[in-house]
Amino acid sequence: MNVTQQIINAIWLGSVYSLFSLGYALVFSVLGVLNLAHSAIFMWGAFIGLVSVLYFGFPVWLSVPVAMIGAGLLAVLLERVAFAPLRARGAPRISQLISSIGASILLVSVAQLIFQQLFGAQMLARFPLGSIPTDPIEGLPFNVTPIQVIILVVALVLMVLLQLLISRTRLGQRMRAVAFNTRTASLLGINVGGIFVFTFFLAGALAGAAGVLFGLAYNALTPFIGEAIALKGLTVIVLGGLGNIQGALIGGFVVAGLEVFSIAAGGSNYRDAIVFSLLFLILLVRPQGLVGQKEGTRA
Amino acid sequence: MEFLSSLGISEPVVQFALINAILGLSIYLTLFTGMFSLANAGFMAIGAFTGVIITQRLGLPLPIGVAGGMLMAGVIALPIGLPVLRLRDIYLAIATIGFGEVVRILILNFDPLVSGLIGMDVEITGGALGIKRIPKLTETWHLIIFLILISYFITRLHRSRFGRAMAAIRQDEKAAANMGIDTVYVKNVVFILSAMIAGGAGAWSGHLTRIISPGDFGFDKAVDILAFAVLGGTSTWVGPIVGGFVLTALPEVLRFADQFRGVINGLILMLVIVYVPGGLVNPAGIRRIFERLRGRKSPSAVPPTSTEAGSKA
Amino acid sequence: MKSAARLFLILLILVPALAMAQEATPEAVASVPMGTSACPAPATLSGEVTIGAVLTLSGGASVYGGPQQAAIQLAVDQVNEAGYLGGATLNVIFEDSASENEQAINAMTKLVEEDQVVAVLGPTLSREAFSADPVAQDNGTVVMGVSNTAIGITDMGEFVFRDSLPEAAVIPGVIGQATELLGLTRVGLLYANDDDFTVSGYEVMRDAFSELGIEIVGEETYATGDVDFNAQLTNLLSGDPDVLAVSALAAEAVQITLQARALGYDGYIIGGNGFNSPAVLEQTGADSEGLIVGGAWNIGNPTPTGESVYFVAAYEAATDSSPDQFAAQAYTGAWLLAEAIRCADSADRTAVRDSLAGIVDYATPLGVFSFDENRNPIHAPVAQIVREGRFVVLTAETGVLGE
Repeated sequence: MNVTQQIINAIWLGSVYSLFSLGYALVFSVLGVLNLAHSAIFMWGAFIGLVSVLYFGFPVWLSVPVAMIGAGLLAVLLERVAFAPLRARGAPRISQLISSIGASILLVSVAQLIFQQLFGAQMLARFPLGSIPTDPIEGLPFNVTPIQVIILVVALVLMVLLQLLISRTRLGQRMRAVAFNTRTASLLGINVGGIFVFTFFLAGALAGAAGVLFGLAYNALTPFIGEAIALKGLTVIVLGGLGNIQGALIGGFVVAGLEVFSIAAGGSNYRDAIVFSLLFLILLVRPQGLVGQKEGTRA
Repeated sequence: MEFLSSLGISEPVVQFALINAILGLSIYLTLFTGMFSLANAGFMAIGAFTGVIITQRLGLPLPIGVAGGMLMAGVIALPIGLPVLRLRDIYLAIATIGFGEVVRILILNFDPLVSGLIGMDVEITGGALGIKRIPKLTETWHLIIFLILISYFITRLHRSRFGRAMAAIRQDEKAAANMGIDTVYVKNVVFILSAMIAGGAGAWSGHLTRIISPGDFGFDKAVDILAFAVLGGTSTWVGPIVGGFVLTALPEVLRFADQFRGVINGLILMLVIVYVPGGLVNPAGIRRIFERLRGRKSPSAVPPTSTEAGSKA
Repeated sequence: MKSAARLFLILLILVPALAMAQEATPEAVASVPMGTSACPAPATLSGEVTIGAVLTLSGGASVYGGPQQAAIQLAVDQVNEAGYLGGATLNVIFEDSASENEQAINAMTKLVEEDQVVAVLGPTLSREAFSADPVAQDNGTVVMGVSNTAIGITDMGEFVFRDSLPEAAVIPGVIGQATELLGLTRVGLLYANDDDFTVSGYEVMRDAFSELGIEIVGEETYATGDVDFNAQLTNLLSGDPDVLAVSALAAEAVQITLQARALGYDGYIIGGNGFNSPAVLEQTGADSEGLIVGGAWNIGNPTPTGESVYFVAAYEAATDSSPDQFAAQAYTGAWLLAEAIRCADSADRTAVRDSLAGIVDYATPLGVFSFDENRNPIHAPVAQIVREGRFVVLTAETGVLGE
């Protein structure tokens, strides 16, 4: 049993889950809605980054900001089309969740059409081989590749930046005010609609960054890459306490640790059953999440 | 019939439409009581596997299989509902998604699990491939009768004391409790009834698709079932039936659209969800339109329909 | 006479190809157009003969249905260009199953009852076949699976055929050959436990290794759609295997290969049908070294048939992408139906069935093709190893890694 390697595996997988879940948690923290189209935006982010490299000849590093802007704008469009009309007529959060499922189905089927046109019927696409070094870093007692380190660092940096934005800036203050109470916020003169749009842009940009890095790390993109990680991401943000951004980061590592541990212990058949049972139990026992205080402390 | 088949509506399409209408009604019950549960794909799986095991492994007739499927789904719903129904809206939705996934994985691993427990190799659920070559025992008239029975039961339920308690819980659970309604009892009974209907639909459909495998009952199925009810509308029991029919027929009617079929299908679903509040069958909405046509001013405060009022925001 | 001439032709292609196998120069095989028929052009057949295809053109399995559609369309166009059906033209109606059993039944019903097609290709997935094939069987219409590998498909009735080799017909041979040539002793197994295709592949692998007395150092599973296999691989590698046997679909096969290499494993990896996609070699680059692949057809086969070379060139010209095994089997399936219709000289469903069942030694991209008495395919599978980025025939020499 290679314990060190399994710990490395868990940290790496945890950083992927955390990175995916940051934007997911952000939307919940400010708007109180569960955006199940987050995984579709994530997939589109990866796709936009890929197109910028393959068809516009951008260098690989530049595809990250390009994907962030592209996915951010797509998320804003999503907000305007799928969420704003519902909010305008005072529909409850559940309607917005249903609407996000519809949007997700639509975004994936459109992507499928485009993938087929661009990449042929097999719809498999990837960044050019050698875009990033894939050989393990030498001289270490375990195997780790540069992209794995990059993703971990990016996930941590983005989390810190997001925390700083929310806790230290005027914009973040407004976001927190909106999160606390929309009506009070608008009475205070805050442009609530603007905050919503900005939040979605930010969440989309985070999903876009996650998408490209994911695409670089697991160099095989299809229109379906978001679907497998969507339910994992849900578990992560529940574990972290819905809408808790630090919690999402911790939740990512907890879920990954649990998965790796269940495999290392010889139970790969029951890995997902264990993870989803935990999701179930956490909601019953500690709905505020592992690190949360109590409900109502979003953002 | 000629006209229907020219649209691509063959007998199997009608049969699946009936199954989906039944599934729509199953989730309608919980939505009508203000509970946003996505557990029905899991209960459908339990009903399907129980029903098929009864007819195929035990050799008993189909009605016993369906009854067994419903019973098993109901029995499992009880211990699940008691803790889970304390949760509200999004929390309940997520917990029931987790339940569905656990059910799917347990069915997948059921054979090795049981084999290990009793110490000999058995084949019960058949793992990833599931149970195949199930004879097609379900007939269209079975489904029509089942749907009529369920619909009749639901209309009776609505007119009963219990039905008024359901509506009261949807409007405001706390107020309902203050009025002396045993909300825990009502919610759990509704959850069990909903599970039983989904289980029945599963048992019928297993004898229609000729193969059942755990993968058929994942998150996608839960979303499908939700869509039947939401698209049709949940302010009356007619809505989910219409939703089930429309969403089954739509992909068949859209076959002419070739590769754009999926996109058009998704677009229609999306547009109805966002821009037709209350779904396709919404008496309140229709009344408003009539009033507007007659030149009367529509009431400014729109009464929330049940999907929309699934919970308080 | 005709068949003797064909045999000669095949030998003419195969012998030099085999001789050159050591140098592994696939370009050396000459292209042979499809359609070396055992029957004269039909005399009475006229008008339009319509076949159907039920494929996963959308939904989770659309990555397989797309190439199948392109390949079938290509075959039908070629049949018509060649005037293969005499005065008649072949027409195909594609129906999408959306990767769902229910829609597969609906699509099959539409084709068989409404469109009155002569025969149907598909459905793509085995579970869809178990759902929909009885509709064709009950209506006395041929249905030919071009990618169904599950056990029991053709037991559904005498109108049910398939041209796709089940894993049980491919894997044991490859494993036996590899074990003998390379002296394998310890194997680690990895597969998706929620997919019937990968599970049946795993079962065949496990049984083959057990029978050969090879020690299984570990068995690990994952879920379809997973992208990270580091934890499972770490477990397996700690048992120090000299071969990893992987039953996976193409997208996962790529990740598993890459991640095993990144974890420092440089031994053999034996894969089933899922590894038989051009994408696997393309996407794994140098990490593909030592990949041993068994399958019904492979674009990298160093000793392809002339028909295979012809098919690859035509497919690439038509679609701008390389065909995978799914495409090759679908293409072959369409040609097999055309041959059956030609030989029956009739569009009568039962006549076509009987004619199809009687096909013997038909030259296809898959090799020389026949059906056995249970309407399952008979043709030689391929067993190759990747050396320096391309497939070569597996021998004791080519199998030595790390030179």
